Amino acid sequence: MRLNTASEAISFLRELETKAATFYESMGKAHSSEEALFSDFAKESKKNIANIERTYFGVITDALEGCFAFDIDRSKYEIHDMAATARYADDLAAALEMEERIRRFYVDAAAQSKGLMADVPRVMERIARARGERQERLRSLMDALKKART
Amino acid sequence: MAVLEEPINGIPLVKNFVNGEWVEPQGQIVDVTNPATNQVIAKVGVATREEIDAAVEAAKTAFPEWRRTPPLARSRILFRLKELLEESFEELSRIQTQEHGKCIDESRGETRRGIENVEVACGIPTLQQGYYSEDVATGIDEWVIPTPLGVFGIIGPYNFPFMIPLWSAPYAVATGNTVVIKPSSEVPLSQMRLAELADEAGFPPGVWNVVNGGRTVVNGMLEHPDIAGITFVGSTPTGRDVIYRKCGETGKRVIAQCGAKNFMVVMPDCNVPRTIAALLTSFFGNTGQRCLAGANLVIVGDDKAFYKRFMDDMAAAAGAIKIGYGLDESVQMGPLRDTEKKQNVLKYIDIGVKEGAKLRLDGRIPKVIAGYPDTCFLGPTIFENADPGSVIGREEIFGPVMSVMRAKNLGEAITMCNDNPYGNGHAIFTSDGGSAREFQYNIASGNVGINIGVTAPVALFPFSGAKDSFFGVLHTQGQEAIRFFTESKVVIQRWF
Repeated sequence: MRLNTASEAISFLRELETKAATFYESMGKAHSSEEALFSDFAKESKKNIANIERTYFGVITDALEGCFAFDIDRSKYEIHDMAATARYADDLAAALEMEERIRRFYVDAAAQSKGLMADVPRVMERIARARGERQERLRSLMDALKKART
Repeated sequence: MAVLEEPINGIPLVKNFVNGEWVEPQGQIVDVTNPATNQVIAKVGVATREEIDAAVEAAKTAFPEWRRTPPLARSRILFRLKELLEESFEELSRIQTQEHGKCIDESRGETRRGIENVEVACGIPTLQQGYYSEDVATGIDEWVIPTPLGVFGIIGPYNFPFMIPLWSAPYAVATGNTVVIKPSSEVPLSQMRLAELADEAGFPPGVWNVVNGGRTVVNGMLEHPDIAGITFVGSTPTGRDVIYRKCGETGKRVIAQCGAKNFMVVMPDCNVPRTIAALLTSFFGNTGQRCLAGANLVIVGDDKAFYKRFMDDMAAAAGAIKIGYGLDESVQMGPLRDTEKKQNVLKYIDIGVKEGAKLRLDGRIPKVIAGYPDTCFLGPTIFENADPGSVIGREEIFGPVMSVMRAKNLGEAITMCNDNPYGNGHAIFTSDGGSAREFQYNIASGNVGINIGVTAPVALFPFSGAKDSFFGVLHTQGQEAIRFFTESKVVIQRWF
């Protein structure tokens, strides 16, 4: 299924970030050593939704190409409802994969809508950069886990 | 994607809002229909002459005290209205989709544009300041006080039910006038909600009134001696022959924003993908029901390969537009407002065929997502080889129809545009600054687009118009609206 309208893209982002927040909340409970970090990730995901929606509602006008701003294959970025398991390494790997999908969506959506959706692509790019940092953090947790095992 | 939740449920009766009260309508009650679902979503009264008189009387009574209210205090009420509008942003947007049929992105865009005018009017303490000259002659000073005039009538159309009354109303009340708004009776719901919010914001009774109805209300406003001026958005025959003329006869100020036939001029050096995206919005956005919609596409030059490539891409993009109920987020084009309007567009498509234009894309049998009744839906239609002097090239169709014509050079394209009686929102698409300047300099159009397909000015600027697209002097929005809603009282003073 393809996403074409701004409304669809924003709703899809809301869905992705909500799923991410739910997953990190469950990770915080399942892996208490990093509860604060995962809780921060969950809060940040919710903040991203508010940020994107605020920007979109703030700039959308009838002169922008809102109905024709995107042409995105939704299936390439979809994530499932996820919940943490008892296996920390598996959860970190799942989080990394999820983050990469979401980051790519932000990057690709921003590239497509540049010049069509005013400030929205800029916010998307900023969130994508922040997601890259989040991925680094998850990788360092994986590395630490590997080292602890060896 | 799911269909978004509808904010209007049941079948509410839309009342008039007069003197701070919701008043039961006295006249005939008519249905308000959602054009996508074909379901009745509300009832509205067609006001009688007595009802419009009562609203004007309330506005007149409220005027002296409202005028005395300091601009800063008036501004604070507008700030509260702005806050309430932001809080209700999504609800207001969905109401517009329900009553009008436009896509949710378009409704949100309309809501934003409406709020933008409230934001600008919030600056009234400085916007309404006068000016002063000391010693215009020795010992004599002179100054100007922009003073409000009284009661203004605001007549809205069906195509932007929420936004268009806000091109006028915030400025009228900010400057100390009172208003009677008449929404289109086809789409009264967003103005009903706006009036609720205006009431909640704290406008005193009688400052903000809404009377629903049709011709009786319009005539009542035009003939009423206590109405100082009228703003109107609608068709050229009504604007020119009724509103403008009658306001002249009765000495009212008038802004009559009327019909259009907008030309989109495409140069071979344009950015093709961006231009096509802009043209999709221009021609087919709001289902072509806007006075700034593209109507004629003029492709400049004799490069056959460019023309073919451009039109292949254009037709493919237009043919892929998803049609359906605007609360379905995947939908890119909603229905026309009602069956009568659809029949009118169909009539023009038939005329185009008879005139010999090539029907490149036929929207007469649209594929509607989720099987909504096809009562009001039409698909994008593209004619090639259209003649600018033909009926489809000359008259306003007000639907999703693109008539494509060719010009040898930019000069010929500009002549084509200027030969048309309308002058609302012509645009050029080019990467060349010289072409852009030549176009904007020579084009007879109130609003001009350079790589912009919908030349809607932001609220800081006047919503202009020229030729048969506009009747009046000053325009709605921004500083010009402040001038329209105030008289320049000039004081000259000497002390002995």
